[in-house]
Amino acid sequence: MKILIRLLFLLPFTSVYSQPNCEAFRYYYKDTIKYEACKKAEEINGLYQFSKEYQQILDESIKIDSTFAYAYRKKSVAYLKSGDFITWKKLMDNAVKYNPQDNLDYRGLMRYRCFRDYRGAIEDFEKLKELGFRTDHLGLAKALCYKMLGEREKAIEILEPHMKEEDFQAGLYDYLHLGVLYLEQKEYEKAIESFKSQSEENELAENQYYLALAYKALEQLTAYKNHLEQAKKLYIEERRMFQMYIDPIDKIYLQDIEAELKKALHGSG
Amino acid sequence: MARTIFFILFIISFFIGCKSDQKTSTEKGYLRWVGDINFDSSLDDTEFTICNSQDSIIQYFSTRKGAQYVGEKSSVIQHFKTNYEPIKGKNQNGLIRIRFIVNCEGRAGRFRVLQADANFKETKFDDKITTQLLDLTKAIEEWVVLHHDDKVFDYYYYLIFKIVDGQITEILP
Repeated sequence: MKILIRLLFLLPFTSVYSQPNCEAFRYYYKDTIKYEACKKAEEINGLYQFSKEYQQILDESIKIDSTFAYAYRKKSVAYLKSGDFITWKKLMDNAVKYNPQDNLDYRGLMRYRCFRDYRGAIEDFEKLKELGFRTDHLGLAKALCYKMLGEREKAIEILEPHMKEEDFQAGLYDYLHLGVLYLEQKEYEKAIESFKSQSEENELAENQYYLALAYKALEQLTAYKNHLEQAKKLYIEERRMFQMYIDPIDKIYLQDIEAELKKALHGSG
Repeated sequence: MARTIFFILFIISFFIGCKSDQKTSTEKGYLRWVGDINFDSSLDDTEFTICNSQDSIIQYFSTRKGAQYVGEKSSVIQHFKTNYEPIKGKNQNGLIRIRFIVNCEGRAGRFRVLQADANFKETKFDDKITTQLLDLTKAIEEWVVLHHDDKVFDYYYYLIFKIVDGQITEILP
């Protein structure tokens, strides 16, 4: 289960949105138009999502049924990956319009991850909740949006209970993000505790870097320096935060570690 | 008379031309791939050349290594932080994407600008903002050369700038 959650985390652009069962439109919903649109959309299988052929097939699917949300969303992915926020948003607005329950969370996640539209993302998550659908899988994203809007206390209020739930399964960077929030709020002991949990789950250069900063704030300078050295080692070994398309929030770079190490070694930290 | 007709046709063609520039990719009809940039002699530096064919240009993430920068992203952030002068003004909020090709020598060319307001609607920022961003992007002399299985690729890359009150608040990817 934990491995599955981690794999899903690594696929930010795909999310959990599988090919619809076309037969269900035909036999269960008795919607032959949607069935035809769905069958047409099936023809994209095996084609590259950036290609003209892929896009044209989905255009034909939409021509058959202009309310077929799946086709809009599938079309949108290449625009998302190419950074065309205008076309992406138009397509996803249609996907949401015709099937909000399956698309609001994804649109919100992409708004925040790919275009740093934190307010828009929160609106999408809230809308999904208003419609009566589960949003517990969006806790971390929502918390990070509030953090980026400067509302760190609210972010912690969202994350803390979420991560204390009995069936909570940590994602790749959950404890790191929580630790950074505590660090930014000057709650150093809590930050250290969270970074230690992150070490147990998935050790990262970023985790050691922020851990070092917590020790620096507590004036434990030996630990500060040791954790920075550990951060540099992990970074060089490529054990660091990574997302394929967009750098994640709280990511650091080798220059950040080296600049801090310089301070530590020269006693100006 | 002929001159008047010519003048009217010129004006009409000008407006048609402007209008088509504002259309999104889906309305324009498709190129080989979404986001492709063909050479345009009115915009592009003729000295910039790609190393392989137009049909061989890939996306920056195609080799599964994510967004890469010479000197890491922090260098690019520092470049804009140091050199960009914020332009304050009403409605200077939203996203600006500069998309371009990086060739097999790590040089960039064929720059294209896309602008949207904070609601993802097409807009036009103050020219002083877009010109600065474009010039500063062009001033980055070296980009990562993309290799895979001993082959060197030309690839598409982009920078997205989140602009709030005329200031850069984030640079993506």
